[in-house]
Amino acid sequence: MWTDKQNQTLILILDELIPANEKAGVPAAGALGVADFFSAATPYAPDPVQSITGILKAVDDKIPDFAKLPRAEKIALLKDVETRHAADFATLVRLTYMGYYSRSDVRPMFGVGPHPVQPKGYDVARESNELMDSLTAPVRARGQVFRDV
Amino acid sequence: MKNEPVDVLIVGAGASGAAIAWSLLETRMRILCLEQGPHLADKDFPSRDDDYELSRYGKFSCDPNVRGLKQDYPINADDSCIMPVNFNAVGGSTINFLGHWPRMKPSDFKTKTLDGVADDWPVDYATLSPFYDMNDQTTGVSGLACNPAYPKYSPPLPPIPIGKLGQTLAKGFNEMGWHWWPSDVSILSEDYDGRQKCVNAGTCDLGCAAGAKGGTNFTYWPMLENAGVELRTECRVREIMVDQDTGMATGVIYHGPDGQVHEQKAELVIVACNGVGTPRLLLNSKSKMFPDGLANRSGMVGKNLMFHPLTGVTGVFDEPMKGHEGPMACSILSQEFYETDATRGFVRGYGLHSGRSTTPMTYALGGFGIDSPIPWGDEHRDVMDNVYPYIAGLTVVAEDLPEEHNCVTLDPNLSDSDGIPAPKITYRLGENSRKILKHGEERAKEILLAAGAKKILSKGNDIVWWRAGWHQMGTCRMGDDPNGSVVNGWGRSHDVKNLFIVDGSIFVTAGAVNPTSTIQALALYVGDSIKTNIETLFD
Repeated sequence: MWTDKQNQTLILILDELIPANEKAGVPAAGALGVADFFSAATPYAPDPVQSITGILKAVDDKIPDFAKLPRAEKIALLKDVETRHAADFATLVRLTYMGYYSRSDVRPMFGVGPHPVQPKGYDVARESNELMDSLTAPVRARGQVFRDV
Repeated sequence: MKNEPVDVLIVGAGASGAAIAWSLLETRMRILCLEQGPHLADKDFPSRDDDYELSRYGKFSCDPNVRGLKQDYPINADDSCIMPVNFNAVGGSTINFLGHWPRMKPSDFKTKTLDGVADDWPVDYATLSPFYDMNDQTTGVSGLACNPAYPKYSPPLPPIPIGKLGQTLAKGFNEMGWHWWPSDVSILSEDYDGRQKCVNAGTCDLGCAAGAKGGTNFTYWPMLENAGVELRTECRVREIMVDQDTGMATGVIYHGPDGQVHEQKAELVIVACNGVGTPRLLLNSKSKMFPDGLANRSGMVGKNLMFHPLTGVTGVFDEPMKGHEGPMACSILSQEFYETDATRGFVRGYGLHSGRSTTPMTYALGGFGIDSPIPWGDEHRDVMDNVYPYIAGLTVVAEDLPEEHNCVTLDPNLSDSDGIPAPKITYRLGENSRKILKHGEERAKEILLAAGAKKILSKGNDIVWWRAGWHQMGTCRMGDDPNGSVVNGWGRSHDVKNLFIVDGSIFVTAGAVNPTSTIQALALYVGDSIKTNIETLFD
């Protein structure tokens, strides 16, 4: 789909779109392999490969060796590309988020279970009658809040 | 191709079509329902997949233009600030609705008398009350009795957990001295009628594979099919036929799954296609007798489209709110600002709903398929690490008023896969609705701060949520005056005596609550009226 150089650039771009939180052990999008998601992303964008190829070309036109840029310059360049290729860049961002957060190994990093939500779901205890009574007591005390007709 | 005639033909197997079929069962009439979508099998529900969230942006999107499935019809909403959303399958939009189940209130049926706006309904709360109760029993509704915002009634099941998020917000409402109550939901808090209780999956919009949510695919339809109601799926009705001498409906023409055009005769035709699909079908059923569309001598078919315009405010708290655990739309509901108070500068009012948060991908993409994605880069990292886990939000659900210029028409260029003209939506936000949303946004901020929020996130503009057209109402309104309404006080067309409409299109006003409970109560009421008037039904 893309050349080795393009693939390398894409991974670096993805690492800037969703950077790592090294302290919390949360990987960046490129390092996690989100680029692999794009070839299967046709249900979520009209032509994902074309959009991403457009962004890679725009980056390459600006600077042939994106990898060598300091981080601040990488970000500045990407913001410029975002301005000039808004639609394709928006597709790239959107698909990056989808590829990243749809992974079951990523969800627990944000407090969400790795499992499909059915059949297991989540254990949430129902409030006791005592707790519900105490919470609703002020509401009941104020009385009717609808108009009689 | 011709089929054997039936007594009752229902178009649409969603909320209202299922309810009226159930009501008419005891008549022993032969009932047939045509549904444009399929029966979904267990494996079709994405919540059992590892990457379940992706389907929210593909085949299980609430937006038919995104799904683009064969059974979907496209909707042109270029001239609307709200996109209608739906689902097409057995169960209709109860497949992907969120199960929030508040009733309308007595005042909702008397807005002309009480507030001098819109029109009074030809039915009232007291008349519908037993049908609300009946429907709650069949559907399995969870909630807490004695809500001071309503005349007394008791949901059949105890409330679902309101969770940490709901408890936190409840304290904020109490601090302000304002009404709130655990939400009524058509989601099972206990095993009920052979169905399994909710497992707090939090993805109600992706369909409930377990059957805990009260979609009619799990409530009414199993009973109906067992009782002999015939359900033909993947059958899309093109038009309703009318005898040009008598003016009575004779049946429908539909496109079947075999790719053929079929004719189906019936004694009684009931339309249950929602507030967009129903006017679309009537407007497409033109004849010499009805050149402007069937049952449209009043000119009101498609007019007075009402949604519930939505906006939201989010609070960021110190502790994780675990908002992804539990039914996504409903934890608690405040109706403090529901009724008219002239000092606020608008008529009617709104509800404040505690939408739970959702899973990380949906949040990163901008919420519940509604807004723009969050920023990329270091700001993204900060939002996902330091905001997302700690949020609790309030949604302002505004009552929309009927305005004739808000309407459904037929698009001259766009059509579905069978070549039937697609609906075009023309809708702009009324000034009253704008004021309501602004007021609601300010109150929501106050509550969140009172509940302990450290930071408030709001859009800061008056743009309403785009994919928020869940509730489509008013486009074939009820009324006693044939010149100003499409159906009478029990759902019968003024113009075609054997044609009934039972979905949200017959609403006269919108209230400020999710309408499905009222849609089904109305459908049961219409069914009951048909039975009561059976001897003189077509007079």
